[in-house]
Amino acid sequence: MTRLSGRLRAAALPALAVALVGGVLGLQLANGGGHYVPLRPTDSCVSRPVNSVATGIDALTEELVLVGLDDAACQLGMSREAFTLQIAQPGARTDAQINALRTGLITAVGTLKADGKLPKASQLVREAVDQSDLSSFRKAAIRAIPDVLIDKTLTTDDVLRRTINDLDLRMLLGNLSDRHAMTVQVDAAVTKAVMERLADDLH
Amino acid sequence: MRPADLATETDIPARSRGSMSRVGAALLAVTVGCVLADSAVVTLALPEILVRLHTTVGQVAWVLIAFNLVLALVARPAAGFYRRRDPAVLSALGIAVFAGASAACAVAGSLDVLIAARSVQAVGGAFAIVGSLQLLVNQLSEHRGTAWWIAAGVFGTAIGPTAGGLLTDWFSWRSIFIVQVPIAVLAVPSALAMRRKKGQALADDEPRDRVRIRPNIALALLSAALTAALFLFVLLLVDGWRRSPAVAAVTVAVVPLAALFTRPLVRTLRAGPLAQTTSGCLLIAGGLTGLALLPSAALAWTIGPQALVGLGLGLTLDPLSLQAMDGRRPPTLHGGWTIAARHAGVVLGLAILTPVFTADLRAAQSPAEDAITALVLDAPLAPQDKTTLAGGLADQLKADRGRVPDLDPAFARLNVPPVEEATKAQLERDLNNQLQRAATHAFRNAFLIGAALALTAMLSLIPLRRRGER
Repeated sequence: MTRLSGRLRAAALPALAVALVGGVLGLQLANGGGHYVPLRPTDSCVSRPVNSVATGIDALTEELVLVGLDDAACQLGMSREAFTLQIAQPGARTDAQINALRTGLITAVGTLKADGKLPKASQLVREAVDQSDLSSFRKAAIRAIPDVLIDKTLTTDDVLRRTINDLDLRMLLGNLSDRHAMTVQVDAAVTKAVMERLADDLH
Repeated sequence: MRPADLATETDIPARSRGSMSRVGAALLAVTVGCVLADSAVVTLALPEILVRLHTTVGQVAWVLIAFNLVLALVARPAAGFYRRRDPAVLSALGIAVFAGASAACAVAGSLDVLIAARSVQAVGGAFAIVGSLQLLVNQLSEHRGTAWWIAAGVFGTAIGPTAGGLLTDWFSWRSIFIVQVPIAVLAVPSALAMRRKKGQALADDEPRDRVRIRPNIALALLSAALTAALFLFVLLLVDGWRRSPAVAAVTVAVVPLAALFTRPLVRTLRAGPLAQTTSGCLLIAGGLTGLALLPSAALAWTIGPQALVGLGLGLTLDPLSLQAMDGRRPPTLHGGWTIAARHAGVVLGLAILTPVFTADLRAAQSPAEDAITALVLDAPLAPQDKTTLAGGLADQLKADRGRVPDLDPAFARLNVPPVEEATKAQLERDLNNQLQRAATHAFRNAFLIGAALALTAMLSLIPLRRRGER
């Protein structure tokens, strides 16, 4: 009897220790302990919805860029986030990165067109003109062209594809911190795309 | 004749002598606590030292490593000196060196000077604590003197990080060393007042008992594990979760508070020494595993694991030190071995854990950056605001490379319309949450290694063959 109580006494503290450790760890695991890790990037090859708070041409650009980044990252077998961080770093971007980005943006144009998200060319042109650095005379001249004529002559996806193909993406990425320089560069590319399209029609 | 008996041979009236010896003994015990607190007292100051002295995490760890390494190396040889010299004189000298080196630490202008001063501080500290043991034994009795010495050491070890954190927050990291100077200076005359009387025996005349290996090994392994608990947890709080040193100090106070409950617990359960020490090791291992498996960065979640560590600390350090020292002669020799084992354990812990968590912290950078990028790209903000914010965050990540970045400046620079202010604030919270997740995850392996060290200590205590035990 004395030996038994002695053994029980000897086991009481270790048993309490096991119970306390089990209780604390059990409570932690039940509340997500062990899963408190950073957000894992989703698969760039799986399409995801883009919810933009912007409107008009800004929303279109944002959606185009986000869908394009996904596609480019998917081509290179990496996450959208890793690809974004790579191309956002100052310094030289590889040909593979630039080509993937261009292809991704062009694919994004097709995706948005298929989803019916591309605005009419007239709407795109009017907003682009409003935001551009063109002279007042030129702006007035373009605004004078009827929407029907613009929409008959131009298609949004074609203008966007031409713009993307013509853009110097290396320079654009280098201008990420300079909004004005980016706008000037994109304006020039859009204008050139429109002019080329008109020239093609005249031929 | 025992030194304790010899010490009573004096002409001072008994009552006056008694109160003087108690004050002197208390001052020596405080000094012992102070020296042993120094092992971990700067832990909470390390992030500030890291910034002020422009150094890296790996280099700043040497402020801790140097002190513990020198203390481990010098404690045993210092005990040898006490066999042939008057302990009062050597102790006073050690305490004076400790005080001078503490002052040098307080004014150090570079990391090299600080590490050098910490090394000298450890040499003085080694002589101070080993000598104080002999003087406490002489003044009180062998058992009471040893018990006072152990209790002072455990108290200092447990309270060190909290005291250091509060001082760093209220004043600066230098104040940690400044407050030690007067404490040590007061103890010098106390030690000298206990000088050997003519004819009083030296420790050299005493027989030498064999060193108890098992409790010393367990102490070394547990000290390594406790380093994980204190050093790493404090770094996680201050550097990973960006809490102030004062908040971190109050948080880690759970450990010494929980340690206070062990005495009534042991008394109630009437547990034997083996049950105490094995349970203590298990609790420390469990607490460290708990710190490795935190469900969030909320401070409330750290209370349970810390309480386990504190209970474990109270159940192990005191009885293991007693097992290693009590009744062993001469006390200075066994005290020296115990100090050497404990601080070699701290060095072992730092040597194993520092490269692990610094590598894990580096590895955590990429997932954290990915998570932040994902949140910024998908944030319900205007595209131009996202671009501006991304630029600011990139600058901040670059500036804080190698450390958990402070995102506040990037958000402070971002001007958004009033309607987007709530979104901006939510995004900042989300990004900080991702950083906390990455930092917490980065410390996981180091905490688990600490837990493994505590379990190894437990295994080293379990007797393999009962017959061989005497």
